[in-house]
Amino acid sequence: MEKERIEEMLELLWTLRESGDELLSKAVKVSKDDNPTEVIKALASEKLVATQNDRVALTREGEEAAREIVRRHRLAEVLLAQVLELEDAEITDAACKFEHVLSPRVTESICTFLGHPPACPHGKPIPRGACCARVETKMEPFVVKLTEVEVGSDVAVVFVVPALHATLDRLAGFGVVPGSRMHLHQKTPSYVVQIGETTVGLDKEIARGMYVKRV
Amino acid sequence: MRTLPNRKRARRRFRGQAHEPSVETPSHPVSALTAEPNGRRRGQSTRSSSHPVSALVGNPNVGKSVIFGLLTGRYVTVSNYPGTTVEVTTGHTKLCKEKCVLVDTPGVNSLVPMSEDEKVTRDILLDPALRVVIQVADAKNLRRGLLVTLQLSEMGLPVVLALNMHDEARSRGISIDADALSQILGIHVIPTVATQKRGIDRIAHVALSARVPGLRVRFADSIEEAVKEIEGLLPEARISKRSLALMLLSGDSSIEEKLPGLSHEHRARIRQIAAGLQRGYGEPLNYFINRTRLSVIDTVLSQVMVSRGGATPGWLARLGLLTMHPFWGIPFLLAVLWLTYQFVGRLGAGTFVDFLEGTIFGRYINPFFVYVAGKTLPAGFVRELFVGQYGVVTMGLTYAFGIILPIVGTFFLAFGILEDSGYLPRLAIMTDRVFKKMGLSGKAVLPIVLGLGCDTMATLTARVMETLKERIIVTLLLALAVPCSAQLGVILGMLGGLSPLAAVIWFGTLIGVMFLTGALAAKVVPGRNSDFLLEIPPLRLPQISNIVAKTGTRIEWYLKEAVWLFVVGTLILFLLDKSGALGAIERAAAPLVVGWLSLPQEATQAFIIGFLRRDYGAAGLFVLAKKGELDAVQIVVSLVTITLFIPCFANFLMIIKERGIKVTLWIVGFVFPFAFLVGGLLNLVLRHFKIL
Repeated sequence: MEKERIEEMLELLWTLRESGDELLSKAVKVSKDDNPTEVIKALASEKLVATQNDRVALTREGEEAAREIVRRHRLAEVLLAQVLELEDAEITDAACKFEHVLSPRVTESICTFLGHPPACPHGKPIPRGACCARVETKMEPFVVKLTEVEVGSDVAVVFVVPALHATLDRLAGFGVVPGSRMHLHQKTPSYVVQIGETTVGLDKEIARGMYVKRV
Repeated sequence: MRTLPNRKRARRRFRGQAHEPSVETPSHPVSALTAEPNGRRRGQSTRSSSHPVSALVGNPNVGKSVIFGLLTGRYVTVSNYPGTTVEVTTGHTKLCKEKCVLVDTPGVNSLVPMSEDEKVTRDILLDPALRVVIQVADAKNLRRGLLVTLQLSEMGLPVVLALNMHDEARSRGISIDADALSQILGIHVIPTVATQKRGIDRIAHVALSARVPGLRVRFADSIEEAVKEIEGLLPEARISKRSLALMLLSGDSSIEEKLPGLSHEHRARIRQIAAGLQRGYGEPLNYFINRTRLSVIDTVLSQVMVSRGGATPGWLARLGLLTMHPFWGIPFLLAVLWLTYQFVGRLGAGTFVDFLEGTIFGRYINPFFVYVAGKTLPAGFVRELFVGQYGVVTMGLTYAFGIILPIVGTFFLAFGILEDSGYLPRLAIMTDRVFKKMGLSGKAVLPIVLGLGCDTMATLTARVMETLKERIIVTLLLALAVPCSAQLGVILGMLGGLSPLAAVIWFGTLIGVMFLTGALAAKVVPGRNSDFLLEIPPLRLPQISNIVAKTGTRIEWYLKEAVWLFVVGTLILFLLDKSGALGAIERAAAPLVVGWLSLPQEATQAFIIGFLRRDYGAAGLFVLAKKGELDAVQIVVSLVTITLFIPCFANFLMIIKERGIKVTLWIVGFVFPFAFLVGGLLNLVLRHFKIL
């Protein structure tokens, strides 16, 4: 059986599980494969999944493999959406192809380049990789923290990882969401950024959680 | 000018009800709007019970309060600082066919409340009597305004959208096609310039025909499914089930208590749905929902708004940046402090006090009353009650109007200018790091600076702080180390007569105590700190009429709050003196006042009366010093002690109201001994090292 069909099914099982679904029948129903049952059988014989009645669960190896595929897919989505600024329809199709071809090394590079984003453009979590734990910045990352940007720069927000959820909501109220353009006025004594005609002051802790790219 | 007769009528109506002002500021804003079973509203008189409610809603600092003033004909405190409307103001207006109540709400960026004042606004929108929402949006910041419009639309509320500050937007190269926007949203969209009263009569004109915005957002399938399931579990409510479902998914825990009809099982099921949905997302659902809304808004904006970017910033905008600059911000801050000191300390506490106390009271009023009392009242008890050493006129009213009023008046004027210009949030930018060390954030600058005017008023404003911990620390610092303007004026007057070193010691001790207490409180008070995120409004030239009106309101508040306490305080002193209790208390307090602080026995009076009014106490010391009964060390020690000493009676009541009796007792229990401890230690140090 070709690798792509296997990987698509692993990805599907992972995403279904994210929304709390582990039913075999559901997986068969939503799969785009011509013969989903056959794929699942193949997965079971390779000990990537375990089935019991109508339940299907990823084994440890299956988990590992699915995790990598999902990670590649969603990283590709961030790359296409934030860096190449493509439309949503193109993103999903392209990302579906990317996930099958990216090598582990290339995946790590993309992840580092993007500044180890936590979520894809659709808000789904990106599984963490080894590079995220090391927080490698050997390569000049494309996406940097606001604290690393020079005063006077114009930046676009890529994602925000605040210490408090409430901060995220308040930022959204000021119009700060991925894609928003900001101008950094100053860093001391506090950070001052301008979004459109809104000027906002914030402390270093929040700035450290704002990941931006220069524009 | 179609509104003019309406406004006049509203005002006339108000005069008809002499005992109750038409603008009310209920202490519990929400309860005032909750309809009672018998159809009456708690906290309001029956006259408003049957009237429909319309609400002014919008982002902070977009001009809601100015528009409120124009629609009701009443002035509300307007300032260029987000978070000013901490209490809800209501007034009568003829927006609806019959008379109805217009509510001015605190500014919100989202209707999923993040703070106490945002919750107040959300709760008003849940009021069954609500007919029309007048949303005020800043035309320059339409994107943020539409984020609120979309949520009102989801709620299914009829909305009229006022695009305020239309002139400012145009001068920044932003043009908005109001008609196109009106088409897309399906509601009236009216460009206004509230400060010039432009477009206001149109709002009044179309309010009756307000419609529910037609713009709908489709969220991701998984969210739509969850919304649908939750909708099925919800009871009927004033606002749409869809909006309630979205609020619940957004993790708004405060909305549940507003749905009494929701069964326990359904609550549990909703929580389960929300948690299940959240698991599939890598960021908080509320954030994701807002992102979706903003992407819809961006599409709308691309059709109705043209922004010719690169408009050169005006001199005010450039000055606005300089006032926060890491280097230039500091001379600017010092210049503001110096000017304020010149105005309040020199002009108010010097020239005006000399004139009012020395000339008006000293040469005319007091001699006149002494003369009249001498002719009409029998010598002894009654006459002394009015014009004696502790006379209501000669002491109480002289202090209140001759010394305190000019100082407080000039302070409120200066504060009004600072507030209106938009400088205060910039001060927060400059001081955030300092306040962080005290477990606070730069936002604390508003209550602390206002505390230099009146600690009681400032304690109320502690609500702008986000967490309970911060509010407690601010309240404590205000009660302990921030002298109010009246007290400050008297203190500066006394220190002015000594070497500059005395002022440095007094100031240094206070700042030191404030830091030490703040740093300790940051460790001791349970709860969490918040991070610092504050909108900086544009710097504006203050409007004279606005500032005069604002200062007038505050002085009125002050007179109502303070003058009777001066009279009561004087009466208590008078009675204590006559009954001989004053001497007894002075003797009892002697070990503390005379022994530990090395002050003359009469200083005890100042401390007793200092509880009624801090400034009154300081004024007592002022008189002692004038008579030459205090040396330099005694002046500094007594001033430090009375500054730190217990907050005044009004502030004490306000702390109880805002923080509850338990926290109040903790604060008082700390402040009282601590003030004497610091005073005594300072006394020992100054005497031991022979300083001053």
